[in-house]
Amino acid sequence: MARRHLDRIILLGFAVLAVLLYISTASYPGIAQKTSALYVRFLAVSMGILSIVQLGFSMFRDHDTGRLELTDHWPRFIGLLVALIVFALVFEHAGFYLSAAVFIPVTALLLGYRNYPVIALTTAGVLGFVYLVFEKLLSVNLPGMAL
Amino acid sequence: MFSHVMAVLQPYSILTIIIGTVAGVAIGGMPGLTATMAVGLLVPFTYTMDPALGLMLLGGIYCGAMYGGSIPAILLNTPGTPAAVATAIEGFPMSRKGKAGLALKVSVIASFTGGVFSVFILLLFAPMLARQALHFGPPENFLLALMGLAGIVSIADENSSLIKALIAGLLGMIIAIVGTDDMSGSLRYTMGYVELVDGINFMPALIGLFSMIQMLELAGLRRTHKIDMSALHRKQKSEPLPKGIFKFIALGAGTGTVIGVLPGEGATIAAFISYNVSKRISKLKELFGKGNPEGIAAAEAGNNGCVGGSLVPTLTLGIPGNSVAAALMGAFIIQGMIPGPDLFTQYADKTYPFILSMFIANGVFLIVGLTVAPYLARIALIPPAIMVPVVATFAVLGSYALNNAIFDVYMMIAFAGFGLILKKLGYSLEALILGLILGPIAEGGFSQGMIMGKGSPWIFFESGIAKVMWVLIILLLVPPLYSYWKNVAMVKAPPKEALDDLDSLNEPE
Repeated sequence: MARRHLDRIILLGFAVLAVLLYISTASYPGIAQKTSALYVRFLAVSMGILSIVQLGFSMFRDHDTGRLELTDHWPRFIGLLVALIVFALVFEHAGFYLSAAVFIPVTALLLGYRNYPVIALTTAGVLGFVYLVFEKLLSVNLPGMAL
Repeated sequence: MFSHVMAVLQPYSILTIIIGTVAGVAIGGMPGLTATMAVGLLVPFTYTMDPALGLMLLGGIYCGAMYGGSIPAILLNTPGTPAAVATAIEGFPMSRKGKAGLALKVSVIASFTGGVFSVFILLLFAPMLARQALHFGPPENFLLALMGLAGIVSIADENSSLIKALIAGLLGMIIAIVGTDDMSGSLRYTMGYVELVDGINFMPALIGLFSMIQMLELAGLRRTHKIDMSALHRKQKSEPLPKGIFKFIALGAGTGTVIGVLPGEGATIAAFISYNVSKRISKLKELFGKGNPEGIAAAEAGNNGCVGGSLVPTLTLGIPGNSVAAALMGAFIIQGMIPGPDLFTQYADKTYPFILSMFIANGVFLIVGLTVAPYLARIALIPPAIMVPVVATFAVLGSYALNNAIFDVYMMIAFAGFGLILKKLGYSLEALILGLILGPIAEGGFSQGMIMGKGSPWIFFESGIAKVMWVLIILLLVPPLYSYWKNVAMVKAPPKEALDDLDSLNEPE
């Protein structure tokens, strides 16, 4: 997608958010009407005005036709995002050490690294470092401990 | 004060400071990893530690990382952190001439001097400023938050427009209103999620915006730039410090400290301003860009001078001087220590040891720099494919550890994804995080002020302190707004010379 198009969609989204936010303050109860609601309205109005002004700049002065390049390598980018979500899902149940022992080498391979001894040493090093420094030395309670 | 000094000199404290500082130097030496990322990642882990030790660890990382960036900048022309870019301009040409030893020596001594000076200023002025903050009521607290947000305007640079920086700041403040409304006790915008009752925790946001985004960017790079390792293999001479170098170190230390105090101004700006001023006053102007140690001295003293300076408004007023200070502020908040006067009275036994520990941290990296710096440069050669999963592991763990909530991990990933889009579109992520941190302070001050003023906004203009603060807010806003207006006007009506230049460029050669 062209950069300026996405920019305009996002700015429009911010303007809509501002309107919805302003409307929502009508339902604030009692004392909040004279305090928090006023503050939220101030935020909504400021956001709305700035979004519209920037949208105007974008419509009339932005002639950039370039595409938005979020990444050079989509498979690796998406792969890392998916791996992160799976890691987060798994480590609550399987514990930190086990899930990290899988996540680190899989992600390194996914990113194109093929030096297996280095991957193994890094994984062991990170787990050992976390165990010795965080758990033993600094007494940090690690979540979902499986060991 | 003696008891605070003794607290820092305990073997366990010294060990923590050494671990933090050496880790900071190593992290700072890795291109792609920054001090904000390191401090942000580790804040959740300090939650279960002794508060003073946790803060010392983070303080060590902050000091170490600020210096660490200069090592690969000098030896490999690869700045470990953005703040070391100016150092690379002078340091690498020196390495190629076989003067890396001198460049590294100048760099570490300048960093040490800048760091120690700024921490001394922090120790001297922070308690004084905190005492003034005792007179602040809700209206002044609201204005304080506004003052911090005015810093957003100065965050705007060539990559993020002024309006977009303000939008990002407002977005942060809007995200901060999610949760329980303190005035009525009712829930707002939680969409039925129990995890949002206490609001959106800013630590997962910080980790997502400053750590995970960098990893997503690194993972998506098709090819990394080739590092010139020739200087590592070249024989390097050992030379004494050049005469008059301390003038440039002093210039950098002073400039960095002052810039650090200003909200929104970071170490990169401090390093560049110090570097440019040194270039202007130097008698060896022609050597700049070709390997002038004076440039290294000013830039390094400047970025390390930022450390103590940035903590002055952070610890006394709760306004983070830069993104690293914002992450450090998170460490205080999760320990129940709200930045302000209480830090220097009720929590003095933790705050003063933290400040004093940074003197030791500066000493630790001085020793590291003078002895093993050339070997540390090889850290920059760690491939991103190994670095990314390691940092991502700590990012997930750190987001989860604070509340033992998987929801926070999803928040971190969401902030990273959406933040990356915003960053690519030119929105300032520093402004977003500043809005997220200052939002609750602004809302609390505003709401309580309105109650005190019985619904009249004049309460925000009544006291003497409030009037001074309005003047300061205007002073913070006017120069960047004026230069923005000037830029807009220039784009609208380019000068005739510029048009002539453009015509000449379009002519065939």
